[in-house]
Amino acid sequence: MDAVPKTDPIYTGWEDLYRKKWQWDDVFWGSHCVDCYPGSCPMRVYVKDGIVWREEQAGSFKTIEEGVPDFNPMGCQKGASWSQSLYGPDRLMYPLKRVGERGEGKWNRVTWDEALEDIADSCLDAIQKYGPHTIVREGTPEYSTVHATMKFMGVLGGGDIDLGGSINDFSIGLYETFGKFSPVSSADDWFHSELVLIWHMNPVFTRIPFYHFIAEARYNGAEVVNISPDVNPSHTHADYQVPINGATDPAFGLAIVQVILDEGIADYEFIREQTDLGFLVRSDTKRYLRETDVTGSGREDQLYQWDPDKGLMLADRGDMRLKGLKIALEGEFDVKLADGSTVKVRPVCAALKEHLDANYTPEKQQPITSVHPDTIRMLARKVATKRTNIMLGYNACKFYHGDLIERAMCLVLAVSGNWGKQGTGIRCWASGMHEGHFIAQEKPAPGAQAAAAVIAARDAEFQAFKDKDPTATTEIAIRDSIRLDEKRVLTPIPALWWYNHCGYGERWRTKEWGDESLPRGFQDYMDEAMEKGWWRSPPLDPPQVLIECGGNMLRRTRGGKKALLDTLWPQLQKIVTIDFRVSQTALYADYVLPAAQHYEKIGFSIPTPHVMNLNLSDKSAEPAGESKNEWDIYLGLLMKIVERGKARGMTEYELSGSESSGSEVALGGASFDTILTGNTRSLDELIPLYTMGGYYQSEDGGVDEEKLIDEGVRDSVLCGTLPYGTTLDSIRESGPVRFIDFGVTGMGSAQASPVEPDKTHVPFRNHTESGHPFPTYARRAQFYIDHDWFLEANEHMPTHKPNPKAGGDYPLGMTSGHNRWSIHAMNQANEVILGTHRGEPNVMVNPDDAKARGVKDDDLVRVFNDVGDFKVRVKIAPNVQPGQVITYNGWAGFQYTGWSGANEAEPGMVKWIGFAADYGHLNYFPLEWQPVPVSRWTRCDFEKVEAA
Amino acid sequence: MNATAVEKRQIAWVVDLNKCIGCQTCSVACKVLWTREDSEKAQWWCSVNTLPGEGTPRGWEDMGGGYDKDGKLSPGKQPTPGDFGGGFDFNHEEVFYGGSGGKVHLEPQAPRKDRWAMNWDEDQGAGEWPNSYYFYMPRLCNHCTKPACVESCPSKAMYKRDDGLVLRDESVCKGSKKCMAACPYKKIYFNEERNVAQHCIGCFPRIEKGVAPACVRQCPGRAVFIGWLDEVGSPVNRLVNDYKVALPLHPEYGTRPNVFYIPPFSPHPLKDDMSIDTETPRIPPEYLESLFGSEVHQALDTMKNEMEKVRGGGSSDLMKTLIAYKWLEMLGPFTTDPAELTSDA
Repeated sequence: MDAVPKTDPIYTGWEDLYRKKWQWDDVFWGSHCVDCYPGSCPMRVYVKDGIVWREEQAGSFKTIEEGVPDFNPMGCQKGASWSQSLYGPDRLMYPLKRVGERGEGKWNRVTWDEALEDIADSCLDAIQKYGPHTIVREGTPEYSTVHATMKFMGVLGGGDIDLGGSINDFSIGLYETFGKFSPVSSADDWFHSELVLIWHMNPVFTRIPFYHFIAEARYNGAEVVNISPDVNPSHTHADYQVPINGATDPAFGLAIVQVILDEGIADYEFIREQTDLGFLVRSDTKRYLRETDVTGSGREDQLYQWDPDKGLMLADRGDMRLKGLKIALEGEFDVKLADGSTVKVRPVCAALKEHLDANYTPEKQQPITSVHPDTIRMLARKVATKRTNIMLGYNACKFYHGDLIERAMCLVLAVSGNWGKQGTGIRCWASGMHEGHFIAQEKPAPGAQAAAAVIAARDAEFQAFKDKDPTATTEIAIRDSIRLDEKRVLTPIPALWWYNHCGYGERWRTKEWGDESLPRGFQDYMDEAMEKGWWRSPPLDPPQVLIECGGNMLRRTRGGKKALLDTLWPQLQKIVTIDFRVSQTALYADYVLPAAQHYEKIGFSIPTPHVMNLNLSDKSAEPAGESKNEWDIYLGLLMKIVERGKARGMTEYELSGSESSGSEVALGGASFDTILTGNTRSLDELIPLYTMGGYYQSEDGGVDEEKLIDEGVRDSVLCGTLPYGTTLDSIRESGPVRFIDFGVTGMGSAQASPVEPDKTHVPFRNHTESGHPFPTYARRAQFYIDHDWFLEANEHMPTHKPNPKAGGDYPLGMTSGHNRWSIHAMNQANEVILGTHRGEPNVMVNPDDAKARGVKDDDLVRVFNDVGDFKVRVKIAPNVQPGQVITYNGWAGFQYTGWSGANEAEPGMVKWIGFAADYGHLNYFPLEWQPVPVSRWTRCDFEKVEAA
Repeated sequence: MNATAVEKRQIAWVVDLNKCIGCQTCSVACKVLWTREDSEKAQWWCSVNTLPGEGTPRGWEDMGGGYDKDGKLSPGKQPTPGDFGGGFDFNHEEVFYGGSGGKVHLEPQAPRKDRWAMNWDEDQGAGEWPNSYYFYMPRLCNHCTKPACVESCPSKAMYKRDDGLVLRDESVCKGSKKCMAACPYKKIYFNEERNVAQHCIGCFPRIEKGVAPACVRQCPGRAVFIGWLDEVGSPVNRLVNDYKVALPLHPEYGTRPNVFYIPPFSPHPLKDDMSIDTETPRIPPEYLESLFGSEVHQALDTMKNEMEKVRGGGSSDLMKTLIAYKWLEMLGPFTTDPAELTSDA
C-alpha cells in the first residue's frame, strides 16, 4: 500500500510554500523534565537555524506485553507547545535585580557577576550569623533542577526542606495501611482491569498521555465507574457516574465493604494472608494482643492470630503466607496473659464487621453520601468479582480526613483480593530507579570502582539490618536504613517550618476548622508529639536566604501570600528565584536568575514506574539569552562564596548538622559518610565537593554536563537498574531505555515487584506471590491502628468523619484538582495554551448557586471565607454539584486581580494525626510520613463584583 | 488536475468520540506547525469543542451553507472575527516588568462584551446536575467529496487534489470569503493581513512523505484513524463501510465529509431517588441524531452489542480495531516517523 497516490502530486508554486514550512536542520530527543508527574513523554525536538522550531511525540515505544496496547504516542498539548514557552513572553533571559519594594515589579538587568556576588555575600552573612542551615530551599520534584540544587545545598550545608509536605502529594491513608504510599502500576497495566473505579481523580485532565488505556480497557470488556461530586470530565467515557456528596467517600467505601462481608463474597484467603484482619485485639483495651502481654517478654510488635485447630498463634512477621493455617476471622477467644489474668480477644475482622454493620450499611450511608443503596450493592458485587483498579489521584490526600478516605479505599481492595495481580490496585506516585544519577554526584571519585564501593557499602548496610532482624525483607531493611540515614541529617519537615516561621499555628489551633470530635485541641497533640521527641525540633533561627529553584512557594503554599509575605518574607535577607520563566514567587524575589529550559540542557524526565523508561531530554539548542544550566549557576555561586568568604578572612565554617536532605536519601541518594567528615566545612573543599575534585568541571569553568549525565547512566547500570551497556550515547542512538529493576530507593523498592521485560508492572507481587510482609507495624496491610491517638480519635479502624468547616461556616465547598491546561503554573503564560481556553482563571459553579447570587457567566466574583478572598471570573456549568465551587489548581497568582489566587482562601490546615509517631511505620519517613496541609472542601461563598 | 478518476483516492479520518478527551493536543499540534504567524493568531484549523455547545465559530451549526436538497449551493452566513473570537493579545510585559506591584494582572487584552474564543464553552455542556452531559468533538476541514467551498470560489482558487485533500491556491485567492459562507462546517478562517482565506491543508507535505497529519499522529488519546477510504480491510474503511459505526457530521449539508465520527456513549443517568436508570441514555438520542442523522442509532447499537459481547467473554473484531493494539495501525499507510526523514523534507 503506497502512502502517496500513484499519480505524481501536482506541484504548484504555492504548495511549495507549505512544503518549505515543514523543514528542519536537526532532530534531538526531548522531554519535559518537570514535575509533570508522571510525564516522561519521549519527544523529538526539531531545530532550525540553531533555534528550537517545534516538537512532536516520538512515538517510539515498542509493544511491551503482547495483547496490550502500546504507549504511543504519549504526550499532551502542553508538551506539544513547550517550544512556544522557550522563547515566549514569560521566558527569563537575563539576571534581574529588584529595584523597588518586593513584589512591586521593578527590575534592573544585572550581570551574573553582580548578582552572584550579592547573593554570595548574603549566604556568608547567614553562615556567620546563624549557620548555613538558614540558607533554605523547599523541596520540589522539578526533575531538571533538583539534582543541582540538592548538591549545592548538600555541599554548603543548607536547610533542605522535605518535599513531601511542601507539595502534599502524600497519600497518608495508603501509607497508614501499607507502610508506604507509592504503589504504582505501569499505565499499560490499566488495560488488564475489569473494573476501573475513577475515584478522587480526573484522568481526562491529568492523565492525558495514558487515558487511552482506560478507554481501551473498556473496549476490552472493562466497566468504568466515575465517582465524583461533579459530573466531571472523566464521566464522559464512564459506564456509571456516581455523584457523591463532597468529602463523604469513607462512608461510601465502607458500605461497599459492608456488603461484601455481609454477603459473604469476600476473598477470605487474601484477607487472612495479606491483612491484619485476622490479628487478635483485646476486648478490654481495644489494643492488639501482644507478645509482651502473653509472655511478659518478647516484642511489643509481635502480634497474634487464632487457628481454630491450633489455637493462639504468633503471627509470622517474616512471611505472610498461611502455610496451611486456618486463621479465624470471627469469634471470640479467651487468652491467658503473663500476669495470670484472662482476656477476651477477637479478630480485627470481627470488630470491623460489627463497626460496619452498625454504621455503614448501604441504607445508613445514604443520608451521608446521597448514593443510592442499590448502587452500593451493585458496585460491591462487581468489585468482589472483577479485577478492580482504583484510579486515585492526589486529591483524596488533600482533604482533612483524606487518610480515612484512602483507608476505606484500601479496605475495598483488601476484602476483594484486588492487589498484587495485573489490572488491580490503587495508584499514587513514585520515582526512583535512576540511582546512578545520585551516586555519580556523591561517590568520592569518578569511575566504576568508586561507584561499586558506594553500592557495596549500601548493600552491606541493608544486610546489617537483615542480620539484626531476620524477619526483615530487603524492602524493610532499605526503609530502616533510610530512617537511620535521616537521623544523621537535619531535614526540617515543612509543617514545623511553617509552624515555626510562618505563623500557621494560629490557623491550626482554630477549633472549628479542625476535628471538633477530639477530646483535645490541636496544640495539645502537637506539644505532646514534640515533648515525646517524636519529631526532631529544628533550630528556631530565622531563615536568611531562600533559594527557590524549580519550586514556586507563593503559588502552591496553602495560605499563599497572605500566610507568607507578612511572616516569612521579612525574615529573609535574600530571596532568590532560579527559573526559566517568570513565576509568582519570582515576582516577589530579590533576584531572579534565568535558567536553561529543558531543551537547552541534558537531563531526564522524572523516571517512574508508570512508564518505566529513562527518557532523555537532550540539549537541542544553546540556552537563550544569558540563561544558564542550574549546575553552572550553583557552581558560580559557590565560587563567589569562596572568593567573598576568603575576602572576609574566613577559611572554614561550622555545619549545622545539615548534611543532606532526607528527600534525597529516599529518592536514591547514597550515604554521605564517604564525603563528609567532621562538623566544619572549609571554603577550599566547597568546589571540589561540588565537582568531584574537579572531574565534572569543564575547561570553560562550568560543569561538564555531558560527563555528569553519562556517569550517572553508567552508575545506574552498575546498580542494576539499567541494562548492561547503556550510556548517554546509546540512549541518544536508540532512544528511551526501559528499566530492568526498581533498585533500592525508598519508592522504587516499595513497588515490591520484579520488573519483567514483557509484562506490564503491577506493584505488591512480592507480597502476594512470595509472602513478603508489608513494612507496617503489624507487618500486614494494616487496617487496625492501635496507636494512642488513633484510639483516642476513634480512628483505629477505617471510619467516616464529617469534613471540618475549615475557613468558616459558609454554604459552599471549594474543590480543586489539576487542570487540563498547565503543569502546575507552567504553561499558564504560553499564548498557544492561553488560546485553548478563556485565557484567564475561573471558578466553575452550578447555575442555581449563580442565580441565587445574581451572577451570570463570565461575571467577576469575589470568593471569600474567614481566611481570605480572591477575585475571579465565573463559569457556569450544570455539571457542578449545587453547593460546590470548583477552582482548578495551577493558575498563576499573577493571573488574578491583585496577584491573589485561590490559595489565599485556603487555611492550610494539617490533620493533627500527621504528628503521630513512635509506632512502627508511623515515624518520620522522608517524603512520606509527616503532617501535610490540606485544602479541599474549604468552606466559602461568593458575591458579584462586576458584570461581564 | 489531470489524474484519472481511477487513480484518485480519498484520505479519510475516523475520530472515535469514545476516546477523545478534549485535550486539544490535535489543535495545538496543528497550530504550532502551521499557524504561528501573528496574522494567524485566531486560526485553529483543528479545534476541539465541548458538545452540546456553541463551539467555534460561535453558533456555527446555525450558519447554513453546503447544498440544498436539489444539490444547489445553499446560502450560508460568513462567520465574523467576533464569531471565532480568540487570538487575544496579553499584557505579559506590563505584568512582569511594568512596576504595577500587582495592580495589573495577566489577562486577555480584549473587550469583555460578547467575548468568545475557540474553546470558550469548554466543559459546560447541557442538562441538569446530576444528569448533565457533554462530550468532546475535534473538528477540522472535512475535505469533502463535494466541497461547497470549491464550488463557491469566484476566483477558482480552490481545488481537490488526487489524494482527496481540498486546498486553496493562496496565490490565486482574492479574499472574497465566499468559501467561508459556503462551508457548512465553518472551518475556514480569514487572514486579514494577507487577504486570503486559510484552512486545514490536511498536512499535505507530511502526507506526501508518508507521515500522518499532526492532528492524527500527535493524538495522545489514540482517538483518530487515518487512511484511504477505499482501502479494503483498513481500519478506516471497515469502520465507515463495514461496521458503519463511523458517521459524517451533519450529513444533511450534502458535502459528503471525509471526517467520520464514532458517536459517544454516556453513563446512565440517575432517577429522582438517585438510583441509576439503566434504561435511558444520559445524552438524549435526538441530540445525537441532530448531529449524525438517523444512522446514529444503528451505529450505537452495533457498538453496544460488540461491547457487550466482549464483556460476556466473547471476542469482537470491531473492539479490537478500536483498541488499536499497535498504534501504527491507526495511521494507515502514513506510518513514516518524521524524525527519520532527512532534513530536506
